[in-house]
Amino acid sequence: MPSSEPAGADPAPPGAPAPDAATVLPSAPATDLPAGAAMDVPTGSTTDLPADLGRRLYRDMLTARRLDGEAIALQRQGVFPAYVSLRGQEAAQVGSAAAVDRDRDFVFPTYREMAVALTLGVDMVGYMASHRALWHGGLYDPMASRFAPINAVVGGPVPHAVGWALGERLRGTGGCAVSYFGDGASSEGDVHESLNFAGVFAAPVVFVCQNNQWALSVPNERQVAGGSVAARAQGYGMPGVRVDGNDPAAVYTATRAALDHARAGGGPTLIEAVTYRLEPHSTSDDPSRYRDAAEERAWRERDPLPRLRARLEAAGHADAAFFEQAEADARATAERVRDGVAAAPEPGGADLFTHVYREPTRELARQRRAWQEEVEL
Amino acid sequence: MTELSVDERHAAGTVELTMQQAVNRALRTALAEDPAVLLFGEDVGRLGGVFRVTDGLQAEFGADRVFDTPLAESAIVGMAVGLAMNGFRPVPELQFDGFAYPAVDQIVNQMARMHYRSRGTAPMPITLRLPSFGGIQAPEHHGESLEALFAHVPGLKVVAPADPADAYRLLLQSVRADDPVVFMEPKARYWDRGPVPVGADASGMDPIGTSRVVRPGRHATLVAWGAMVHRCLEVAELAAEDGVDLEVLDLRWLKPIDADGLAASVARTRRAVVVHEAPLTAGLGAEVAALITERAFRDLAAPVQRVTGFDVPYPAGPLEPQYLPTIDRVLFAVQRTLEF
Amino acid sequence: MAEVTFTLPDLGEGLVEASVLEWLVAPGDTVERNAPLVELETAKSAVEIPSPHAGTVARVHAEEGAVVAVGAPLVTFEVADAPGIVGTVPRAEKPTRRVRLTPPKE
Repeated sequence: MPSSEPAGADPAPPGAPAPDAATVLPSAPATDLPAGAAMDVPTGSTTDLPADLGRRLYRDMLTARRLDGEAIALQRQGVFPAYVSLRGQEAAQVGSAAAVDRDRDFVFPTYREMAVALTLGVDMVGYMASHRALWHGGLYDPMASRFAPINAVVGGPVPHAVGWALGERLRGTGGCAVSYFGDGASSEGDVHESLNFAGVFAAPVVFVCQNNQWALSVPNERQVAGGSVAARAQGYGMPGVRVDGNDPAAVYTATRAALDHARAGGGPTLIEAVTYRLEPHSTSDDPSRYRDAAEERAWRERDPLPRLRARLEAAGHADAAFFEQAEADARATAERVRDGVAAAPEPGGADLFTHVYREPTRELARQRRAWQEEVEL
Repeated sequence: MTELSVDERHAAGTVELTMQQAVNRALRTALAEDPAVLLFGEDVGRLGGVFRVTDGLQAEFGADRVFDTPLAESAIVGMAVGLAMNGFRPVPELQFDGFAYPAVDQIVNQMARMHYRSRGTAPMPITLRLPSFGGIQAPEHHGESLEALFAHVPGLKVVAPADPADAYRLLLQSVRADDPVVFMEPKARYWDRGPVPVGADASGMDPIGTSRVVRPGRHATLVAWGAMVHRCLEVAELAAEDGVDLEVLDLRWLKPIDADGLAASVARTRRAVVVHEAPLTAGLGAEVAALITERAFRDLAAPVQRVTGFDVPYPAGPLEPQYLPTIDRVLFAVQRTLEF
Repeated sequence: MAEVTFTLPDLGEGLVEASVLEWLVAPGDTVERNAPLVELETAKSAVEIPSPHAGTVARVHAEEGAVVAVGAPLVTFEVADAPGIVGTVPRAEKPTRRVRLTPPKE
């Protein structure tokens, strides 16, 4: 495999640690997470970020929270057949996505990355169209958005990120792939194969595992042998970083460092953002069948939004007027997206056939005519 | 799900159950009658499965016999192969049809041919449960029809029940069988209710590979399996209003296929329309048409018609009803055979 | 139809139990979603629980005056739809068609 040096790396932003090719980032005691969850990036480092970045993270997290609420309501109102909430994971998603270079990088989500999409500027009506079942992959433009189609096969998109990243390395264009997956997906063969490939090919890819503790009904201890997804990185020859996934600054810092590291030719990094799925797996799930209300309560107290707000206030980075405006803007965006997706037209039946091939076959054209004659009329 | 006492759960008799409850009941019977039976898969234990099909089974039979696995379909099937070689009778579940694809290597390269590879020394009594087919407005990969893929694989048997009683019978039969069976449960019909004769008594079960006529008729035979049996019965009701008497044949076993049953039905009706959800090209309808042509050519008054999904990826919500065989499409096909 | 059991939710921060003051429904009753179901007393207050489901009350799991732990079954409903985690239950609709058939000549 030929190798080529990527184009010059971006300068690190203020507050981001220097790229470190060889080791995990320095450990620091966690202040806000359960015992045993030692973090590699200090928790509570929000005030280390520039004020405008902290405010941007807050606004995106809040908008995602409000949009998530609208989506749950749309499901209860019969507009969405189902919805998968990301409530509680806003910091992990917005913090990591904010570090992405939207001009050069490319993100590979699964199906719970709404706040990533929002942060990247994806057309959210098009994104939510997937949950209204208008089109499985969503109706946004994934190539222009640099956000791959929503993917329901957990683990499935992870090798795509490695392939995309390898392409960047071969061309020397300096982009990085960011692959999102969860603790459940980390059990899939595809994920292990991808980590190994990324290590072998020194692909500029950042794996962001949102460990939200529950893969549908199965808890971490029945899912992740050894207890740490990040620890697996060592076996695949890359840095593994465990961060407080409810601290957007810690997630941002780790992702930024990993992207800089990859852009500088240092290869992949595996980040495990420890967070929690506050809502059911999907709108029709019933978590009371498998997990304690007390555990949910404990994690609600670690809700990333009030935490970030308190830190921004303490640091003097935001005042009451900012929060008021952020709330009004978040609601307005959420309502605009809600109304947009609720009113979006259903795809015409001909769309069944339109995108199957670039070069359609005669047989498919015949089937389309049969559909017109027997179904559409 | 109805809560029953332990005695009631295993009593013989006829009870009203949904298909999802009937599958649960068959699994209960299988676990109770054979300590070698093990159930495992994603969320089948504590949660009781995403369709509650395994509800209560872990509580009743223990976490050694009914358990959750990590999220890895290939390993679920591969582990079943190893357990089978060690004398167990595994009944793994893959949560949805589309998630069988990550396990295809273990299903095709391992489970299906281990018995052959070992010259008959390695037993492979696995029943792979696979909630299948579409019609529930689910996300992508939750509405696939993989029967042709699996029917093509030497060493596998494939079955799809159409109603609660058959789900009970056929699942129990599959678990008791000594060969690997892919058991495709039509999730769109999970909530259909019907009388189910239950109990450990195996009498009354047709041999593996037997179809059944669910509605006798004389003008044409509709051949279907899984959820499309229901669709064909709807069509037959409507056709009767026009004076057309349709026979509906539920194939049940997609491998081995009941060629005799197909030929016998066509000998009566002289016309056949095969209806399936899977795409047309190289779908099982082609196999059915070939068997009828081979076995009953001189009985046929018209070429066998196929009404199927289109050759497109399974679509999202609003397009689903346009993809699945509609009543009108089946009626058009019937009319073609009548007019030929 | 399927049965769904409603378990006692945590009605306030950290409450572990509640006692049943009065049942506002009885087995066999048809209830609408959010209809008054039961009045409970917790360490903090008396609260009326709105029905989380529309359906028929199959049975209640606690007598009036009984203490129920958070997470314990309170009432079981028979409901029309019991979807799984994914997808919807197809509606039973009267089959319709446009195509009419012409019977073959015998």
